Amino acid sequence: MEYCPVVYPDAFNQGISNEKAIHIYFSQAIPLITYIDESCLYLEEKKCRICENICQNDAIDLKQEPKKKEVNVGAIILSPGIKPYDPGAMKEYHYGDFINVVSSMDYERIMCATGPYQGEILRAFDLKSPQKIAWIQCVGSRQVIEGGNSYCSSVCCTYAQKQVILTKDYNPDAECTIFHNDIRSYGKDFERFYERTNALPGVRFIRSYTNIVREDPETKNVFVRYATNEEGVKEEEFDLVVLSVGLEPPANYDQMADIFDIELNEHGFCKTDPANPIQTTRPGIFSCGAFQGPTDIPESVFSASGASSQCGQLLNFRRGKLAQDKVYPPEIDVSGEEPRIGVFVCHCGANISRVVDIPSTVDYCLTLPNVVYAMEQLFSCASNSAQEITDMIKEKGLNRVVIAACTPRTLEPLFHDTLKEAGLNQYYLEMANIREHDSWVHSKAKEEATVKAWDLIRMSVARANLLEPLQEIDLPVNKAALVVGGGIAGMNCAFSIAEQGHIVHLLEKEPVLGGIARKIHDTLEGLDVQEYLRTLIEKIYRHPLIHVYTETTITEVTGYVGNFVTKVQSEKGDAVIEHGAAIIATGADVYTPTEYLYGEDERVLTHLELEELMAKEDEKVTGAQSIVMIQCVGCRNEDRDYCSRICCSESIKNALKLKEINPDLDIYVLFRDIRTYGFNEDFYREAADKDVRFIRYEPEAEPQIEPGTGEEDGRPVLKVTLPDYVLGKKLELDADLVALAAATIPAPTTKEVAGQFMLTLNPDGFYKEAHVKLRPVEFATDGVFLCGLAHYPKFIPETINQAYGAASRVLTLLSHDTVTASGSICVVEDEKCMGCGACVTACKYDAIKLQKTRHGDKAMVNPVLCKGDGLCNAMCPTGAIQLKHYTDEELFSMIDTMIPVEEEEKADAIAGGV
Amino acid sequence: MEGEVLLKDKIRQLKEKIEDKLGKKDFGDVLIVGGGISGIQASLDLASSGFKVYLVDEAPSIGGHMAQLDKTFPTNDCSI
Amino acid sequence: MDGVFIGGCRLGECNYITHGNYHALNLTLLCKRIMEYIGLNPDRLRVEFMSAGDGNLFVDIMDEYTQQVREIGPLGKSEGIEPAELEKRLAKVIKQIPYIKIMTNEKMGTHLEDPAEYESFFTLEEVSKLFTEMISYYIDPEKCQACMICARRCPVDAIISAKKEVHVIEQDKCIRCGSCFEACPDRFDAIIEIPGGEPVPPPPPEGERAIVKKDKKKAG
Repeated sequence: MEYCPVVYPDAFNQGISNEKAIHIYFSQAIPLITYIDESCLYLEEKKCRICENICQNDAIDLKQEPKKKEVNVGAIILSPGIKPYDPGAMKEYHYGDFINVVSSMDYERIMCATGPYQGEILRAFDLKSPQKIAWIQCVGSRQVIEGGNSYCSSVCCTYAQKQVILTKDYNPDAECTIFHNDIRSYGKDFERFYERTNALPGVRFIRSYTNIVREDPETKNVFVRYATNEEGVKEEEFDLVVLSVGLEPPANYDQMADIFDIELNEHGFCKTDPANPIQTTRPGIFSCGAFQGPTDIPESVFSASGASSQCGQLLNFRRGKLAQDKVYPPEIDVSGEEPRIGVFVCHCGANISRVVDIPSTVDYCLTLPNVVYAMEQLFSCASNSAQEITDMIKEKGLNRVVIAACTPRTLEPLFHDTLKEAGLNQYYLEMANIREHDSWVHSKAKEEATVKAWDLIRMSVARANLLEPLQEIDLPVNKAALVVGGGIAGMNCAFSIAEQGHIVHLLEKEPVLGGIARKIHDTLEGLDVQEYLRTLIEKIYRHPLIHVYTETTITEVTGYVGNFVTKVQSEKGDAVIEHGAAIIATGADVYTPTEYLYGEDERVLTHLELEELMAKEDEKVTGAQSIVMIQCVGCRNEDRDYCSRICCSESIKNALKLKEINPDLDIYVLFRDIRTYGFNEDFYREAADKDVRFIRYEPEAEPQIEPGTGEEDGRPVLKVTLPDYVLGKKLELDADLVALAAATIPAPTTKEVAGQFMLTLNPDGFYKEAHVKLRPVEFATDGVFLCGLAHYPKFIPETINQAYGAASRVLTLLSHDTVTASGSICVVEDEKCMGCGACVTACKYDAIKLQKTRHGDKAMVNPVLCKGDGLCNAMCPTGAIQLKHYTDEELFSMIDTMIPVEEEEKADAIAGGV
Repeated sequence: MEGEVLLKDKIRQLKEKIEDKLGKKDFGDVLIVGGGISGIQASLDLASSGFKVYLVDEAPSIGGHMAQLDKTFPTNDCSI
Repeated sequence: MDGVFIGGCRLGECNYITHGNYHALNLTLLCKRIMEYIGLNPDRLRVEFMSAGDGNLFVDIMDEYTQQVREIGPLGKSEGIEPAELEKRLAKVIKQIPYIKIMTNEKMGTHLEDPAEYESFFTLEEVSKLFTEMISYYIDPEKCQACMICARRCPVDAIISAKKEVHVIEQDKCIRCGSCFEACPDRFDAIIEIPGGEPVPPPPPEGERAIVKKDKKKAG
């Protein structure tokens, strides 16, 4: 790489830094190998060939030709993703023209530790840290002009907030301004994130269209023109302007559509059916992720899992026929041997070696007790390095391995595998984190960082000396699944699992299936919800593997992953259900408003009640002259600090429908932010075009409502008053009906079910998934999964995606005969146990029981339920209970080695001298 | 009954024939186009529930756009 | 070591439903009081809760804390405690750990939500009681039948036992868990609970520990 003469802008870093023609794509790339791209002189002009001669391993073959490979498959999943909008397409943004106008993707790379400035936020112009930064939202989104996209890109509001928070972290004095049209924090925990950003000092959210007018010829600062209700049109100078670019369909999407013979929608994304958004227009080909439309990571993850489940339905007959399980060599018993430790020190490209002196660190390792071998590696996680580790274990007879690299959180499983391949028990691995804990955070203090790396490795070696081999337990898996909740989410999930050959028990607390969808008649996309429900319910009842229980209550849940036992009472009587997995799809409820005369005046309804009246073509609706809709009722407030996500679109759906019934009807939508993310933006625009009036209100000045009479005709109406910020006066509206967009709230059974299955809830009372981004349908509790509104409010197509997603995750469990439990669990030393039960109370996983023995009560750990969190160890008065792999002895050995005795004495001596 | 057995036999023969013709080597269950977060998730799910997957991407690494991100909202966890 | 810092996830955001970080908070509050009790500056120990995204907060706190510990100065010396004395006091605390854990177990399950409650959660008085008013257990040499049940039950091997010899609790080793008290068969009822602060009678000297058989006593 060093010798390559070609230097050109690095695409991965958005062209902000330079790269060679031969390079590694980015430091955590998989596969992690160098490659030569199209800019190579040889490939372009048959010149150079320096690298070929330099490479000692003869690994470079410049004559490689692209190879065509034909594969035959039973199904195809399309996940081509998106591309960030190119703001260069619109001249008025001056992107590429003014050096201090950057796109949000550029800014993302600028902030990143692996980015062009190693995490320093700098302007390319003068390499100085910008003080005044502006974000301009909706660049390339919500625009019906040439070059823009009409839909909302769904993610920009929140990523801009993230960038503000990270900027303020980096430089607390930075002044950050976000120019927006609506803040769309509609996702789980987004509203709090918005508030957190808004509360930071020096952060302004300004609702205004903007113009980038000019740049200062000297400082290259950028002038932005905007308008506020209070101050009118203003021009302001910023050091840096970030364009919050939207998401566009993947590159070459039309070509791809041709190849796979599928249809696209009018925006160039995949054409989907709201009743099954995963299915493309061609059977056997599925879509997921942002190909369905601009979307955030969790939605991408569960739609991807969903696509996987639909492939599983299609190809269930040949599951396991082509896939092969990995076979490991038999484990060698080294427990009697003296420790022989090998230390592998990783450069992590330059991530570690740029700061920590690796060669001297390797020398240092060799001086440590029982270290018989040490070496450096460019990337320990690369497959050739893993092979090297395996080879060295065999060659040098190593029986403990210390890898000094990055956090064990990501790569520990990989290295476990490496040890297993060498025939060592995987628990003989110890990792020293010299990247996150060292080189990344001490990049400016190289010498001290090197010493710290030595300290960290010395501690790891000390622990490695004491490591014990542990056995993991294989548990049998009961092949049946239990689905709690018979709404759209529960039914789709049950159906997908059953289609893949598993018995499903579907529990519903009401006498009929359908859940909250029974109150919904159609969707913006035009799905006839009641008809859809009828077909779905029929499919469920007809399926031979699905057992439906209605009017059900769960009385008891015991067991653990692969082996649950749930007792239920239902209209069928009492039943005991054994199942390997459980899916929580308990849905949600609608908030009963206490505001705006609801319950006092019958002309005040919830949006769902309005929908019901519309479906019945009730006279109250057909005869109305004016309807007012009030958004955000019962949420985005102190009691419920979240956005219900669906109500803006729900109200707009009703408004459009009402306009169809009576085009002369006056409709007013009183809102705080209109959050019609994604393609629903088009319906918002349609409603505005059809003269539905959208009037913004502030939470401090909520609309007031009282009974009155119409001014001209004296008809009895409700008077709704609120300030009009655009006109700067008080507005009075007459309404025949007032529809409240009441919040979606957690179902009343949520808490109870959470207790039974040992699940956690988020501050808003919805279930808390294992990881908000990457594990959106799983719980931290193994074997329990989540989908639908129980997770968070969402639209029907999103719910269906998630239901299939949960089914897929369930299949990764149920398609195996056994499930492996970690070896790092608690054990009780009987002689020391005094049977006080402190550990039993501490363990919320029910993993510890007191058992009567000849010598009194003794604690017993159920290894399958133990999660290894170690709280019981801390509670035990006598130290009788220990967590394997994290024993007191192991941890104390690390602390003891942290400060060697001589050093401590020296420090004392110095201190004594002062 | 006999008809059913015959039919099954036919299907088996047909399958063998197809496998013969296509060659077992390049025979997979599912092809996934695009190795971003969705493609990776779909591959993982399919592979861990017993299917053979081909995952293709135009870039030299999997990871897609998420790999370019610094942190993810609303937890500000590292993206990689 | 002059200071110890404990970092954890934000309260209520534990990945485990056991929410061990509340326990860590309680334990820290207790330890700070114990440090105060033995004359050490409690500011040497600090606990903070933050998320993985709070890198800059962590840096700020570490800088501030390092400065603070530097100002406090070397352990013992700054408090005017001689090294030998300090070691003695610390040894006393270490010995007391099992008893302290037994006594505070119930309180440790509390989830403190309001930082205003932290200060008063453990008082100096409470901690001092843990050291001065300990319950003691004593084996009545008259009643002990040398059945060895209590000795086998003792989690710390603090009971000297032999066949046909009166068992003796080594007060130095005893963690006052009460296991022996519960274990002693009702028909013997040989173990006496001595309230905190009161003196424990000395055990019979070695060589004079032959048991007084119950039936003999009856006969006599």
